[in-house]
Amino acid sequence: MGEAQPAGGGGATQQRGEEMNGKLENFAQWSGTVIRILIGVVFVYMGLSKALDPVDFLKLVRQYDLSFNYWMLNAVAASLPWFEVFCGMLLALGVAVRGTALSVASMTIPFTIVVVLRAIEIAGAQKIGFCSVRFDCGCGAGEVYICAKVLENVLLTVGAVWLVAGYGRRAAWRYTLSRPGQ
Amino acid sequence: MAARQVRIVLIEAAGVALVGACFAFLANALSTKGLTLSRNYFPRTVVTQTNAVISRATNTATATSLGQRLAAVGLKLVDQTFVAKAFEDSKQQQHSIIFIDARETRSYEQGHIPGAYQFDYYRPEPHLPVVLPAALVAESIIIYCNGGDCEDSEFAAVFLKNAGIPVEKLHVYGGGFEDWAKHNLPVEVGPRNSGVKK
Repeated sequence: MGEAQPAGGGGATQQRGEEMNGKLENFAQWSGTVIRILIGVVFVYMGLSKALDPVDFLKLVRQYDLSFNYWMLNAVAASLPWFEVFCGMLLALGVAVRGTALSVASMTIPFTIVVVLRAIEIAGAQKIGFCSVRFDCGCGAGEVYICAKVLENVLLTVGAVWLVAGYGRRAAWRYTLSRPGQ
Repeated sequence: MAARQVRIVLIEAAGVALVGACFAFLANALSTKGLTLSRNYFPRTVVTQTNAVISRATNTATATSLGQRLAAVGLKLVDQTFVAKAFEDSKQQQHSIIFIDARETRSYEQGHIPGAYQFDYYRPEPHLPVVLPAALVAESIIIYCNGGDCEDSEFAAVFLKNAGIPVEKLHVYGGGFEDWAKHNLPVEVGPRNSGVKK
């Protein structure tokens, strides 16, 4: 007779909602962890393959004509591969995750732009379709088709942004370098 | 709260970048294959950006532009006819004519002009003790790399010129090893004078 809903009913709904949110959050965190380790391994592999043959990488960097100053060219070719290895290790271990992921995204985005521009030049010079362009972009995987490379880089960037957003905490050694509670 | 988190992430990223850069340069310095930051690996007269990009993109370095660049520093561009004739010349057996392969070890050992000295321009230290004495004694030196848009023979020739080898001895084979092999000329595999022909 118009009795009010027992408090337990609303509470049960709320509880179910909270459980669902908790599960979603847990899933998001674990998926972030998988993404984190995957990106970490990719960067270590790509970085090492370039770091162990820096002369080849130097020639590839040169082809982008970003700078005629040889000091800068040498500095980029000498340091970038090892920096990728460093970031890859941090992500794989789960150290300073958000900061590292931001560094990764900061590398991947401009690099993708530069690679796309070069592919456009090659496509124009060889009069072929954009996705038919295949060249060694200096990524560490040898010659690749540009469209596949762009897709790969977009996925890496999205993964990095996912980590910057705060996911991937599970199984992280030191997720953030800031003091607890910050 | 969000602004604080953003600041924390930015500071963390800056820290990663700083420590990462130190790690990277240290690793390069310690690596046996590390680059020498102060070395100009591509000593070149000015090339316009557009030409350089399209030239490298289309894999064609015109003989005219290569000849002009070499002439600007006193070097000579030679073709397959000159090189084949030099190979057959008896002076080649007497080491008065020598060939220098400016490619890295893997390419060299996969096949080179018989008797050619290896001189990896990017890592010259192991090769200089052998190549320099031979170059000083030789009357004519022919330097090659892969051909096409490969510039390593050009850089190697300039390197040797700067190391004191008289410029009139130095010739750059523009067609390179690809041109040599295309004409079914003899090819040696493995180390120099291995005697193993392909």
